[in-house]
Amino acid sequence: MVFELNLGTDSVTHAHPQTPSCVESETSIRGVLAQLQSEQRGCCLICREGLLVGIFTERDAIRLMASGTKVNLDQPIETAMTKTPVAITNAESVASAIATMSRRGFRQLPVVDDQGRPVGIVKAAGILHYLVEHFPHYVYNLPPAPHHTPQQREGA
Amino acid sequence: MECPFCAHANIEGADECQQCGQPLGDMHLSAPRTFVERGLLTDRVSELNPRKLFAVGHRTTVQQVLQLLVEKRIGCVTVVDDDQKTIGIFSERDCVVRLGPTFCDHLSRPISEFMTTDPQTLPADAKVAFALQRMDVGGYRHIPLVASNGAVTEIVSVRDILQYLTDRMPMSPS
Repeated sequence: MVFELNLGTDSVTHAHPQTPSCVESETSIRGVLAQLQSEQRGCCLICREGLLVGIFTERDAIRLMASGTKVNLDQPIETAMTKTPVAITNAESVASAIATMSRRGFRQLPVVDDQGRPVGIVKAAGILHYLVEHFPHYVYNLPPAPHHTPQQREGA
Repeated sequence: MECPFCAHANIEGADECQQCGQPLGDMHLSAPRTFVERGLLTDRVSELNPRKLFAVGHRTTVQQVLQLLVEKRIGCVTVVDDDQKTIGIFSERDCVVRLGPTFCDHLSRPISEFMTTDPQTLPADAKVAFALQRMDVGGYRHIPLVASNGAVTEIVSVRDILQYLTDRMPMSPS
């Protein structure tokens, strides 16, 4: 089966969006960090009344941690999140998602419905997987290591 | 003609590789259909514009590493032992998963307690297909590159690969 690569017409739903991890904006920073840790996630979407109002990524977490013991972890996540994050809709093409990611330096893009409710999250890894699916022979049929030389020729 | 498996230079038209015996005909790999597919088998990871890698000693504290990550705007550092041998990698994901909400208690601990040991690396002259495979299958975001003299000085990230692929793929205007 041959996949035709249509970056410009395939919607972002092809790029393996994940179910987002959402928290309410009143949640404490400590709570969000604990959630990221237990779910092993790279980011958390912050919602108010079901609508997307912010995003808290690993990068935000690092900045917070680097500032050391000065942070009060009981403050609401609103104070540490990135407000009004760039989001896309399911109708957008993979090409435009990639363009947004590389132009702005994002690795995750929240996907929202027409009312602004988060429905998914597109990650760079998901896009990579989508691209790799178009030439699986060249990526999955590789020897265990580059320059791998068998000790003996195969066969009888 | 270079063997795609072991990079041995064979004479043009050979049916199998002189070194590893893998068939070089088109029996097992269909001829690359596109520019991108040919690129995956011939381009080397050095063409992904790998960035300079930051290495820290294994006794560096977590706080110092966190500050380095923020100041240099990088996603990971490698950890080296006293002989400058790479023993681990510490990435953004390790921060979130290993430090977590109790990070304040760990800030003065050495980074070697929180790093991922024995990171997946690639030789600097490996083909791009290997980097793609490692990242897609292993779920890694960064792969340090090992030069022929054993030095680990460069790193490729998933964004470099996305950039490489999208630069070469036909993209109809959207």
